[in-house]
Amino acid sequence: MRLPIPERGGRGNAVAVMAALAAALLLPAALTFFFGNDYPVFICCFILIYIVAVSGLDIVFGYSGQISLGHAAFYAMGAYGSGLLVNFLDFPIIPAMLAASILAAAIGALLAWPASKLVFHFLSLSTIAFGEIVYQIITHSPGKITGDFIGLRSEFVNLFGYLLDRPGKFYYLALALTALFLLAKTYIVDSKVGRAFLAIRENTHAADGMGINVRKYKIVAFTISAFYTSFAGAMYMHMVGYASPDTALQKQSVLFLTMLLFGGTGTLLGPIFGVVTVMLLVEALRDFQDYQVFIYGILMLIVIVALPGGLYGACKDVFHRLADKPGAMGGEETGDAA
Amino acid sequence: MTRKKTLLMAALAAAALIVIYLFLVNHAPIKLRRLALTGVMLGCIYGLIALGYSLIYKASGLMSFVQGDIMTIGAFLGLTFFTFFRGLFGTGEEGESNVGTFILSVLLTTAFAFLFGILLEKGTIRKLLNKNVMAIYVVLATIAISYIIQNGAQIIWGGIPLPVPSVFTVLFVQVIGVRIQPEMVLCVILSAGCMIMLHFFMTRTRMGTSLRAAAMDAKAAEACGIDVSLSTGLTWGMAAGLAAIAGILVGPIYGVYTMLGANIGRKGFSAAVIGGYGNMYGAMLGGIILGLAETFVAGYASSTLKNLIAYILLIAFLFIKPTGIFNERAIQDV
Repeated sequence: MRLPIPERGGRGNAVAVMAALAAALLLPAALTFFFGNDYPVFICCFILIYIVAVSGLDIVFGYSGQISLGHAAFYAMGAYGSGLLVNFLDFPIIPAMLAASILAAAIGALLAWPASKLVFHFLSLSTIAFGEIVYQIITHSPGKITGDFIGLRSEFVNLFGYLLDRPGKFYYLALALTALFLLAKTYIVDSKVGRAFLAIRENTHAADGMGINVRKYKIVAFTISAFYTSFAGAMYMHMVGYASPDTALQKQSVLFLTMLLFGGTGTLLGPIFGVVTVMLLVEALRDFQDYQVFIYGILMLIVIVALPGGLYGACKDVFHRLADKPGAMGGEETGDAA
Repeated sequence: MTRKKTLLMAALAAAALIVIYLFLVNHAPIKLRRLALTGVMLGCIYGLIALGYSLIYKASGLMSFVQGDIMTIGAFLGLTFFTFFRGLFGTGEEGESNVGTFILSVLLTTAFAFLFGILLEKGTIRKLLNKNVMAIYVVLATIAISYIIQNGAQIIWGGIPLPVPSVFTVLFVQVIGVRIQPEMVLCVILSAGCMIMLHFFMTRTRMGTSLRAAAMDAKAAEACGIDVSLSTGLTWGMAAGLAAIAGILVGPIYGVYTMLGANIGRKGFSAAVIGGYGNMYGAMLGGIILGLAETFVAGYASSTLKNLIAYILLIAFLFIKPTGIFNERAIQDV
């Protein structure tokens, strides 16, 4: 199966982007009006944070075809790193978030450097091992600085004297940051670097033959991805004001992966689709929390067996079929028919 | 491996065992002996799991994340059969011997797991491979199945660890001066038995030879008249059977709970990589090394480090010697 080559995400479609942004800006007010409390806005904040995290995972998995089953480790490192910098070294929050993400990305690069010579199976093993090690360190930290199993408390974001202590306030900061990260993603995947990622994904040996430094670009992809995911973790920390060691569990990595696969890999909109659908599903099925992992598993299996392009790919397929435009789509049957 | 080499290795192993035995019995402190025994027992379990990984990797070039969960299912099924047969044949008295019923439950569970493994390969993996899905997606499918089984087991059997009734009449046996549970001895003997049987099956029988041929080069094997699809299915079945045996064997020692297999399964990867991923003998050796490393670290260092050591070893081997002790290649990319 070939994944769809990404189109120029959103740049040619300024009107749609503006409309989406306007809708996103008005969303909290509308939700608070309808539901009477800000819990739905809280979920929206989570959706934005997860969009950043899953977009990061998409860079490494969707674009450069390497599998990471330990991205929760970066998420947790971003959260705890930022929290610790704020709590113990009195960093201002935004620089702390940046510093923690850069640190986590550097650790990601250190992990990716020797790992880049492994085939994907074994890369995924090393990321699992890395995730477990991070979890053990967080829950058994020296001097209990991370609060071990209790978790770590930290401060809310204070933007020029304006305290973002409610989801409704944090939402706009998260929206701005998410937009920034998505914009950066479109630039990265459209650049020389992004094309190198795609070449590696499609055929490592061919990419090598074309003069692409495969190991270098694998490391670059992993580092960028780690930066995205750990920044999402830092956002989570200062949105909730608390991080629990559960963020480092493998379950979290699988949640990211489920969202990515469900939405569709290797596109700008795929992660957004995936995060929104899975989050809404999880919220709708809150009464069946014991079955949550079961549901993730079923979702993943459905996508792998029936919807290889994810939800976004399927939507695009249907859209193209309605518009009667063969070609230019992710589905394989249509590709064969053309 | 030639006959001479095999004999040489067997002789070396026997010599090493004799030296270790003399040393342990005569000089070692009791704690070290106890840890060594526990380590070997745990190592056999890791070895069985890693053996499954290696078989599957050889046969399909894939990594299966389901092994650990088949182990959980094996443990639960084994417990269910064991209690059922004990009620059927036994008198229910305290301290009666249940070896017969236990062996019967082991056989039944293994048969069920074997079928499950074949179904898994035929029903999902083969279907996905036929659709020309990227290998990553097949591996992800095994992860999805593993999550479904894990959560399913929790729904069926609940989240509380279940105790397994003891198999033997005696509570302890004396081995090299240490009192241990007789179930631990059974565990080591049965795992070693599985390993030896597997070795002879793979090298001495027609079926085993065709399995190895199919794993080595599917097309050439097909051309020689070997049913590759069947042998791949059988290999997955055997891997599942081994995992289930591991599950039912640890049941009486650790109790049975839903996360049992998930943890051991993840650490089993470490054992497989240490020995050389894809190598049968390496898997067993890697398992025992990992088991010993874990128990010794737990005994002499800390329990935190015990949980870490498997992953540290895994990362260290992947980065420094990805081909493992038995120098099995096929792990490296460009």
